Amino acid sequence: MPKKVLVVDDSVFMRDIIKDILAAGGFTVVGEARHGVEAVEKFKELKPDLVTMDLVMPYRNGIDATREILRSDNKALVVMCSALGQETMVMEAIEAGAVDFIVKPPRAEDVLAVVKKVLGEA
Amino acid sequence: MAGPTWDTSRYLALFAGEATEHLEALGKDVVSLEKGATLPLVDSMFRHAHSVKGMAASMAFDGTARLAHRLEDLLDALRADVARVDAGIADVILQAVDALTGHVRAAATGVPLPDSQPLVDRLNRLTTELTGKPPAPSAPLPPPPANELPLASAPSPVPEPAPNPRFALKLKINPASTQPGVRGFLAYKRLGTLGAIFELKPPLDDIKAGRVPQGAITLELETDQDEEAIVRTMRTVGDVELESLGAVVKVQPPPPPNAEKDAQKPAAQEPARTIRVRTEVMDHFLDQAGELLLATARVRELSRGVPDSQRPPLDEAVDRLHLLVKGLHDKVMQARMTPVAVITDRLPRAARDIARKRNREVELVISGDDIELDRAIVDELADPVLHLLRNAIDHGIEEPEDRRVAGKAPKGKVTLAVRRQRDRVVLEVVDDGRGIDVARLERLVVERGLLAADHVRAMSEKERLMLVCLPGLSTATDITDISGRGVGMDAVKRAVDSVGGTLEIETKLGKGSTFRLSLPLTVAMVNLLLVEVGQEIYGLPIGKVSGVVETAREKLPMSQNAPVLQFGQSVLPVHDLSSLLEVPAVPSAAPFAPFVVVDGDDGKLALAVDRLLGQEEVVLKALSKPLDLVPGLAGVTILGNGQPVFILDVTRLVTA
Repeated sequence: MPKKVLVVDDSVFMRDIIKDILAAGGFTVVGEARHGVEAVEKFKELKPDLVTMDLVMPYRNGIDATREILRSDNKALVVMCSALGQETMVMEAIEAGAVDFIVKPPRAEDVLAVVKKVLGEA
Repeated sequence: MAGPTWDTSRYLALFAGEATEHLEALGKDVVSLEKGATLPLVDSMFRHAHSVKGMAASMAFDGTARLAHRLEDLLDALRADVARVDAGIADVILQAVDALTGHVRAAATGVPLPDSQPLVDRLNRLTTELTGKPPAPSAPLPPPPANELPLASAPSPVPEPAPNPRFALKLKINPASTQPGVRGFLAYKRLGTLGAIFELKPPLDDIKAGRVPQGAITLELETDQDEEAIVRTMRTVGDVELESLGAVVKVQPPPPPNAEKDAQKPAAQEPARTIRVRTEVMDHFLDQAGELLLATARVRELSRGVPDSQRPPLDEAVDRLHLLVKGLHDKVMQARMTPVAVITDRLPRAARDIARKRNREVELVISGDDIELDRAIVDELADPVLHLLRNAIDHGIEEPEDRRVAGKAPKGKVTLAVRRQRDRVVLEVVDDGRGIDVARLERLVVERGLLAADHVRAMSEKERLMLVCLPGLSTATDITDISGRGVGMDAVKRAVDSVGGTLEIETKLGKGSTFRLSLPLTVAMVNLLLVEVGQEIYGLPIGKVSGVVETAREKLPMSQNAPVLQFGQSVLPVHDLSSLLEVPAVPSAAPFAPFVVVDGDDGKLALAVDRLLGQEEVVLKALSKPLDLVPGLAGVTILGNGQPVFILDVTRLVTA
């Protein structure tokens, strides 16, 4: 059964790219969120196997959303999508419970390698 | 008695601080004990006495150690049979606690320790009665092992369970990885879930900063998991390869004394440990963090003068800098936050003593004492809060007979409640006693010539209640000073004012009173209303500003040849800030001038200024000599444009 992913990013452009990469890799994108508040809602609603989470978003950023998601389900797998130069924020997200990260702009091989590793399919 | 083999004077402050904490906790526990003796409670008391004994022994304070030892023995005997606790025993325990407190104070101030032999004997006798046999003879306490220091963070040595096997790991971060530091950090965190990490190379800070030469990380992992589990875990971390994994066979030395153990502490996840830091160090940190914020604001200001083409990267860099510095400043502020419990913990004991002495029956209920405030505020309020409690019991709560006659329960109730309210903390001391007789208060004030009768008549209900804070009002009963400190309500008000708080009083004759302190969370940052007078800019703390009125100067009504301003139901005196500060005014040409309504000592007043510039949250810096002698200046700050701004203390300005 293909694994279910929730894609969170405030940029439609970015979400589309990541969705396409994931679909090509055999994953099912069950939902999208545009910001941290929606991310937490959709996570609770859809219960995906994995979440890709952008860092900087309006209303609630990726770090806080990750923290909340982990509070509601401490086994949740959240992969951060960061831009170059956001190391400190990624580490903060890891402290908050994020399990791994991808650097944008996303390359298909990198995204899939990380997602597969995290889901234990490597 | 063999003396210690190291210099104990360095640890005197630590000893005094920590021993006092244990003794205060003991005192608090005794008050609880009187309500109902339970095993956990007596156990807690035993451990406190045990700690004090150990510390005193380490410092070679033999008399203190002996007294603490006897107390410990008594508590040990009570642990075996909690039902034997009675008021008499509780009293003796309290005496011992008081005596030990005296010892610690003497030690801290360098005066000879008191002789507590009679008390020691009494404790001996009690213990013997309880157990049927005398306690072990007080042989000279063996000098503790050379390295056992009263370090606050080291728990008493617990026998080490056999350590888990250790593995040596070598990791390699993929050279093509764009964020090697984060990769390394991720690997470290993942491995940390398996056990404790030692000998991490390069050190964690270097890894986080991306300084990993050749992407190579080595570490030792102490875990109860097997190699398979470690390999599996490492497989989940992308871009990091587990180059080698091997068991480490180490001959574990016998459990090392505390000091060495601390040095060998594992680098990985442990439940939050705490350390003690001297307040001066924290104050210095806060100061530096504040300076950093100001310097960053200045850089930001300067960057505005850079041509547009170069702005984006500079803006981004400055934003990041500001974020980091603000983060640092916030963390330092957070580190200064102290729970109110620090001052309320000793209140149950104090309440009991005051109530006993004045023949009252009082129940003290404390809530919200885990709420935190800046330590400077907490320190400043320690005595005032004690005084409010004393007042509540002494002046508020009536004697049991009087209460019965009034139809109240003979036991009075005093509540100390702390709660958060938006960006303030509210601390209330409520009693169900006799309330404040405002009419009598007014009479006293006028009789003693503290205020004119018609001035008092013109006051609002709230202002009249605040008359209790007038200096020179202490009634005869205050002179029978209970705690020996002579703090009056005026000192309480001054303390509250000095931290930027406000005091409100509510009362109902025959029913009780409420003293409400509204406090800011911190002192170091302050929200200012910036005003301009002539060429100068000044800051007025928003906490003291009730409002702003814009009106035409000429239209102001006059009262006794001075202009006054209508504000709500009151009529306020108008002062020119320019004449108070002796700075020439440059009124704007606009028809309306701004008047800022601020809180003064006896009521509000209106300040005429030239222009209002807006609100800002700024870092408060203290004034150094000779400026701190100028009345009316509470501090200074520097705006982003580099302009220094004096922060005004309006009440001093007006009375000066």
